[in-house]
Amino acid sequence: MKHDVYIIGDEAISPLGIGSELNFQRLRNNDRAIVPIMDTHLCDHTIYAARIDEGYWSHLINDAPHYTRLERLFILALQRLINRHDIPVDGETLVILSTTKGNVSLLGDPRAAFPEQRARIPAMAAAIGRYFGFENQPIPISNACISGSLAISVARRLLRYGGKYKRAVVVGGDELSKFIVSGFDAFQALADGPCRPFDRDRKGLNLGEAVAGVYLSTVPVAGAVKISGVGSSNDANHISGPSRTGEGLYLSIREAMDEAGDVALDFISAHGTATVYNDEMEAIAFQRCGLSAVPAHSLKGYFGHTLGASGLLETVMAIHSLKNSELVPSAGFAHQGTSQPVNIITQPTQRPLNAFLKTASGFGGCNIATIFQNV
Amino acid sequence: MELHNYRITAFCTIRGRSIRVNGKEFLGADPSTPLGDFLKLAYRKLAIDYPKFHKMDGLCKAIFIATELIARESGRYKHHTALIFANRSSSYISDARHAHDIFRADNPVASPATFVYTLPNIAMGEISIRHQLQSENVFFIFDRYLPEFLVPYANATLDNQQADASALCGWTEITEGQCDLLLYHIGTSGSQTHSIEYLKRLYNEEDE
Repeated sequence: MKHDVYIIGDEAISPLGIGSELNFQRLRNNDRAIVPIMDTHLCDHTIYAARIDEGYWSHLINDAPHYTRLERLFILALQRLINRHDIPVDGETLVILSTTKGNVSLLGDPRAAFPEQRARIPAMAAAIGRYFGFENQPIPISNACISGSLAISVARRLLRYGGKYKRAVVVGGDELSKFIVSGFDAFQALADGPCRPFDRDRKGLNLGEAVAGVYLSTVPVAGAVKISGVGSSNDANHISGPSRTGEGLYLSIREAMDEAGDVALDFISAHGTATVYNDEMEAIAFQRCGLSAVPAHSLKGYFGHTLGASGLLETVMAIHSLKNSELVPSAGFAHQGTSQPVNIITQPTQRPLNAFLKTASGFGGCNIATIFQNV
Repeated sequence: MELHNYRITAFCTIRGRSIRVNGKEFLGADPSTPLGDFLKLAYRKLAIDYPKFHKMDGLCKAIFIATELIARESGRYKHHTALIFANRSSSYISDARHAHDIFRADNPVASPATFVYTLPNIAMGEISIRHQLQSENVFFIFDRYLPEFLVPYANATLDNQQADASALCGWTEITEGQCDLLLYHIGTSGSQTHSIEYLKRLYNEEDE
């Protein structure tokens, strides 16, 4: 028996603030988290990135010194979700954590305040699990930049087909580190200013950090959003560059649309990293799916690329678009800059919204597309 | 409780310096053989020409070899074969190398060729290219081999496929010091049922 699965709660912590409502309000105000940062612990030159301020949130959790910075952010997000929705920590609650690199900032760094063993993702998951006393150990997923969206899909599948779980909390997070910044810099993937997704003059991405999560249930409540279709396909083409034909993303979107059935999409929350090749690939995939006219945005111009959090953060913001009947513009966009046109949202627009498509793509050739709709 | 009738069509283990396919040894080497040399020996024994292999890190190479050997037993993979992998150390071999590169005192510099392998799912990208798998991938990170999670998740994934159920799954813990890999193909034919009990037994038997 297949169960429908709904998102009945959400949470987001970013440089723009704590709480998904607040983050959405900041988007409406056109507030952007990307700033120039000169910090030799991250990089030997100035980078444009979005970083969560230290200090204003650590006191909100118990025993903060026993947890790494990223663990504290995960704990804060989980704590807020659990408290707000009275989520049981019993055996019927599945807990999934998505992260690309976890506590990797501890690795090799002589300044690290925790032993290197803590850089292993299971050590982070165990620490977070202990804090809440979850009966089920949190399940980490590390699948490059689709981790957040993929984690929603994995949780949905286990609720949909399995008998063990009745509900799931899915939280994703990543933080800025020298490890990540130096790698993207070596790839020459970082823009030397605020990023410009889908724009003609885009020159690369900005890194960001965030923790975001959703609460899934097979029982819809008022205001629930249904996950009505998911597709995921590998490009089988290149490990570090997107497919020139958008093949994997095209197949993913088609699969999601087939499953969702006859749903008119009101907007697309694209991956839109603002690298030349990613945005071009997405434009081609949207065109091949007949979606070139659907209003689309990337939120990377507000939050930067938050890696393992991005799929979750951007999904949560899109859910608030549905709830508020408001399309959020794509920050940093001025001129069409892809071989196939994309209907980029440039003005905040009030209109009834029922369904949206979220896409993500990542290193290793992975792609995922998910369709969400009002109940 | 639903009845699943999925079957293990072939499996491969890499333990220490021994590679076995369906329980039969493919390659054994002295335990002191460095990981890189051991994987190169295995590649030579495969007798294929795939220059990309030499660019991969140890995790990708081990998964590549096991995937190749399983295909020789269970047949060419269908394009929709889902990939469901898990390990403890993620991409630790490349993570440690990249961390060393950027924190060393003399000339700290990041290498793109190393950084690209600092994600565990790159291995799934590599075998997707090799076998033209346009399928879904997921990489879980657990503190130990966990068939209690993997088997129900694989069953749900196979139930979700329209027809011709096919998945490549397993535990792929590969570091310089430890090789502990069990990969298996799940399909609809074969003598062994895809079950938690069988996969526990397989993991433990092959450990002896």
